[in-house]
Amino acid sequence: MKKTPIDKRITARMQAGTLTLSGFLGKDKRDFHQIIADDEMALEKLGKTAEEIADRLEYFQTQSYDSFQGAATIDKIYEVETEVVRGFLPCPFAHKGIYRKSFTTVTNTLTGRSFTFSALNIHLIRDHHFFEGKGSHFRLEPHEIVAELF
Amino acid sequence: MFLRIIQDIALMSSVGVVLAFVMVIAQRWLSNYGELTININSKKDLTVTGGSSLLSSLGEKQIFIPSACGGRGSCGACKCKVNEGGGPLLPTEKPYLSKSEIESNVRLACQVKVKSDIKIEIPDSIFNIRRFHSEIVEIIDYTYDIKGITFKLLNGETIDFKAGQYVQLETQPYAKVKQSVMRAYSISSKPEINDSIQLIIRLVPEGICTTWVHNHLKQGDKVNFTGPYGDFYLRDTDADILFVAGGSGKAPIKSMLEHLKVVGTQRKMSYFFGARTTKDLYLTEEMQSYEKHFQDFHYIPVLSHPEADDNWEGRTGFVMPYFKEAIRDPKNTEAYLCGSPGMIAGVTKSLVEDYGLSADKIYYDSFG
Repeated sequence: MKKTPIDKRITARMQAGTLTLSGFLGKDKRDFHQIIADDEMALEKLGKTAEEIADRLEYFQTQSYDSFQGAATIDKIYEVETEVVRGFLPCPFAHKGIYRKSFTTVTNTLTGRSFTFSALNIHLIRDHHFFEGKGSHFRLEPHEIVAELF
Repeated sequence: MFLRIIQDIALMSSVGVVLAFVMVIAQRWLSNYGELTININSKKDLTVTGGSSLLSSLGEKQIFIPSACGGRGSCGACKCKVNEGGGPLLPTEKPYLSKSEIESNVRLACQVKVKSDIKIEIPDSIFNIRRFHSEIVEIIDYTYDIKGITFKLLNGETIDFKAGQYVQLETQPYAKVKQSVMRAYSISSKPEINDSIQLIIRLVPEGICTTWVHNHLKQGDKVNFTGPYGDFYLRDTDADILFVAGGSGKAPIKSMLEHLKVVGTQRKMSYFFGARTTKDLYLTEEMQSYEKHFQDFHYIPVLSHPEADDNWEGRTGFVMPYFKEAIRDPKNTEAYLCGSPGMIAGVTKSLVEDYGLSADKIYYDSFG
């Protein structure tokens, strides 16, 4: 598929070293449209929407936000910690707005699995259905999120 | 038939070339705004060549408005009041401005183009902001993810700042990072040393600047920064002081304590430093040494998650319950906080609601 100028601009912003150190695409050879389409298909099979995933991540982030000195226990089985560092990140889709550099780590204590996501991740999933490319630092696998965090 | 096609192609190409030529000429003529005036605070006039952004026009005149993204319109930091000549508010600015800011003519300097004479308002403190050239003379590993870096100013330059203020470090392209970015860090050295500054920088996951600092910078490297910025500084009163910090938030408090050591103080001071484990503690001996130097100073590290082999016998949990040891008169106590927005919000709420401090005596540098 031929890339529009907007697609090219978004792809450029997703490259390593532009907005973040490693970028948003990882080692994924697919373009971002294909990544989104494939993840949407995966979500459909899982019976969840991107909005539901984003709501769930935001729930953990909000619940742990005040617990600045350590992990909060949420819903009895999740250990959640949010770390905020100085600064903000813009959306690679040139969505208007900036997102605090906050990193939330959720650990399912029953399985020991942990996931780390940023405030920008939540926006990317909710508004763009973008879970990032495979191999990206903050890539979230929809099936893992659904299995571990719901 | 073939000749006709060639003629048509030639004609179309000629029209294209002429149109392109006309557009180049028109653009040069239309975008030539000539020399324009930027009036600052109704006091000072700057003559600039029109057509550039307000941010870069001011920068060319050595007036540096804080900007974390270098003028790409993605950080929303370069706010200033544009009272005349800024043109209409752009859609690129609206997400960064509150309703009250829009009503009081606040704009993003990087988005406002200087196309006519313009009148702006900026804090007087911005006139003290300059761009400095420096060389790294010392790098100290404070913890596994926190470094202290000393920048010696070049060309005989000196910097005039208040303890608690910050600078913006300019990165250079490295590895896959092709563009320079600017990031804010508090000065951790005392203002009495004016030919160098120290910054305390924590490695941030995926951080372009902190990765550059931690993994690429070395002694002898040349680095530029602008500053000083910020209104987080020690107030000159006799009130008791409560310092609260975590992580790299120790930087401005260190600067304040070093400054107080030079100028002397009789004020009662308590410093609560929140950390996760003993691995996150640093400069502990230096902080404890102030207990001997000052008449009434206590350094109180509090660990939230001490590990078994830490053998930690100090305070644990949240810092807030321990404030009662330090506050003797809430009406005559000032608090200086540096850390994450969650920490600032939590500590402020506790100080006001649980301990009765006045909110206007709580000063903070939030990482947000």
